[in-house]
Amino acid sequence: MARKSVLQFFGILFGLGLLMACSLISPETSFAATHPEGVGAGRPMCSECHTTDVSKGALKPYAAFDHTQTFVKSHKYQATQDANTCASCHAQSFCADCHGAKVPMKPAIRLSDSPDRLAPHRGDYLTLHKLEGKMDPSSCYSCHGRANNDKCRTCHR
Amino acid sequence: MKRQNLVALLATLMTATAWGQEVSLYGTTMAQMWKSETVGFDKATYTPATQYLGIDANKLGSDNLSLHLFGWGRTDLSDSSNLDGSKSSGYLNFGYLQYRFNQANAEIKAGRFTVSQGTGFEQVDGVSLRTDLRGGFTFSAFGGKPVLYKTVDLDSQKDYDFQRDVIFGTRLGWRIPKVGEIGVSYLQDGTKAAKELPIPSSVDYTRKQMGVDLLIAPAPAFQLRGRTIFDVADHAALPAGTEKPSNIAEHDYTAIVKFGSKVTVTANVAERNFYAYFAGTNLPSLFRQDEKDKYKGYGGSLTVSASANLQLVADFRHMNRESFGDVTRVGGELRYASTEKHYMAGLGMRSVSASKTIQVDPTAPGRSLSHTELRAFTMIERKRLSLSLDGIVQQYKEGNPYLNGLTSLYEVVASVGFKATENLKLSGDISRGSTPVAKDETRGLLRAEYRFGFGKKGGQ
Repeated sequence: MARKSVLQFFGILFGLGLLMACSLISPETSFAATHPEGVGAGRPMCSECHTTDVSKGALKPYAAFDHTQTFVKSHKYQATQDANTCASCHAQSFCADCHGAKVPMKPAIRLSDSPDRLAPHRGDYLTLHKLEGKMDPSSCYSCHGRANNDKCRTCHR
Repeated sequence: MKRQNLVALLATLMTATAWGQEVSLYGTTMAQMWKSETVGFDKATYTPATQYLGIDANKLGSDNLSLHLFGWGRTDLSDSSNLDGSKSSGYLNFGYLQYRFNQANAEIKAGRFTVSQGTGFEQVDGVSLRTDLRGGFTFSAFGGKPVLYKTVDLDSQKDYDFQRDVIFGTRLGWRIPKVGEIGVSYLQDGTKAAKELPIPSSVDYTRKQMGVDLLIAPAPAFQLRGRTIFDVADHAALPAGTEKPSNIAEHDYTAIVKFGSKVTVTANVAERNFYAYFAGTNLPSLFRQDEKDKYKGYGGSLTVSASANLQLVADFRHMNRESFGDVTRVGGELRYASTEKHYMAGLGMRSVSASKTIQVDPTAPGRSLSHTELRAFTMIERKRLSLSLDGIVQQYKEGNPYLNGLTSLYEVVASVGFKATENLKLSGDISRGSTPVAKDETRGLLRAEYRFGFGKKGGQ
């Protein structure tokens, strides 16, 4: 009997919680799943066309998404806060070119016909990584510390 | 995930594409070839063939339901090019069903997907959801089984697989129009910490993190972005007398100021405490928590858009690692892109000065990490034909302990592409270079990229 009461209590609590959570959901319409127009080659500058105040979903100035050199190098912030804004132009496979968790070749080889893209590990990186790793191993860690380490563990045992 | 479960998941997901009204299949087939002849070793010929394949199937019965799959497989047609001696390998990078709601930018994903939260880019076999809430709040959460990777040996592997049993996380954000966004997140990977095992292990593969991420963007001309990550796991007790390291894993903040439409200045400051930052690594022999080392860096960049087609970037960074000392890096890049982007070119240089390095080679610290890198590239597109040339030279100090007596390394990659149709591109590369292992190295690569179907995204 007591067990039934406890279950009823938690059932009511869960139902009320769910109702409350639903009432908290924004009534706004979702923004477009895909960018309505092609953006062409090269790095797009969102603010060139979007001159209005803030983007609909992210509520940030469109300039915050301009693909400048700084944006390309530090896009982790946007990926954390606005992944669905990224998804309106980029398929997930675009991310996997470099952040594939396990990849069969370094991004610079995969994208060797697109030298304008920021592909890490150009040239003889096997030599350079010994230097970069001593200067700042935390820069290696974000990709190789938790996932993509098949090659690392051959030597670093 | 066990192999049979993975096959069942893949088969189910693949079958689901049959209901898709907008199915897009895309792939890249790559064939590489190089030979090596190293003194003291047998001659070897390497011809790995790699296949990337992805499927995006939209409108699966409902306009809002879609399926996304992407993975790769490779096999060596002659000698093994994998360092472990195996001749074939493959991987499912992601495979998930996604339902996008028409309201509140809400979505649910189920299957294998990636999550960018905390210090990592987590792969999860599970479920995730996100939604906008009233008042500018956003909520996201995920949970499931973490995708497991290899560790250095079988014993560690058992321990690693046991500890990383579940992964879950959540983030609550608050967006204020014309001000910015602040978010608080939590991530837990594994529930069985090393010290709680029946036979306590010295290596903890689990982690618990809290994070705060911030964006202040009151106007298009100014942004401040950054995050702080805390390691909130309860680690094994340190030896008596050892100073307790900080549990702040990372501070990383960047300010961006635009002066008109032509000049942008950025400044960054970052600090990482390895004891907290490297918590949970599956390669503890390399990313060593026990060093209790710390990295501090600051720097900035100046970007000048001299015209609509020409951009100049100059950057500077000073880095300090407690155990190795100071390093300063300066660099610059000049980029040109024609209005229609049919012609692009770039020229870059960076120089690293390590005269204050205290390790590696204490007798001549300046030569151990110091180097200069020069890079130039050009790309031309004419109708269906594309050409690119990319060259990089790395110049090291004489007597560098890592260079086998060399001081200069280079690599040049020439690529020719032909777009046979809108959905099929064939290209071939030849690269030539030098490394401390191979004084001359020539490699060939053939690539076919293709796309079938009606999808609007993918690969972009």
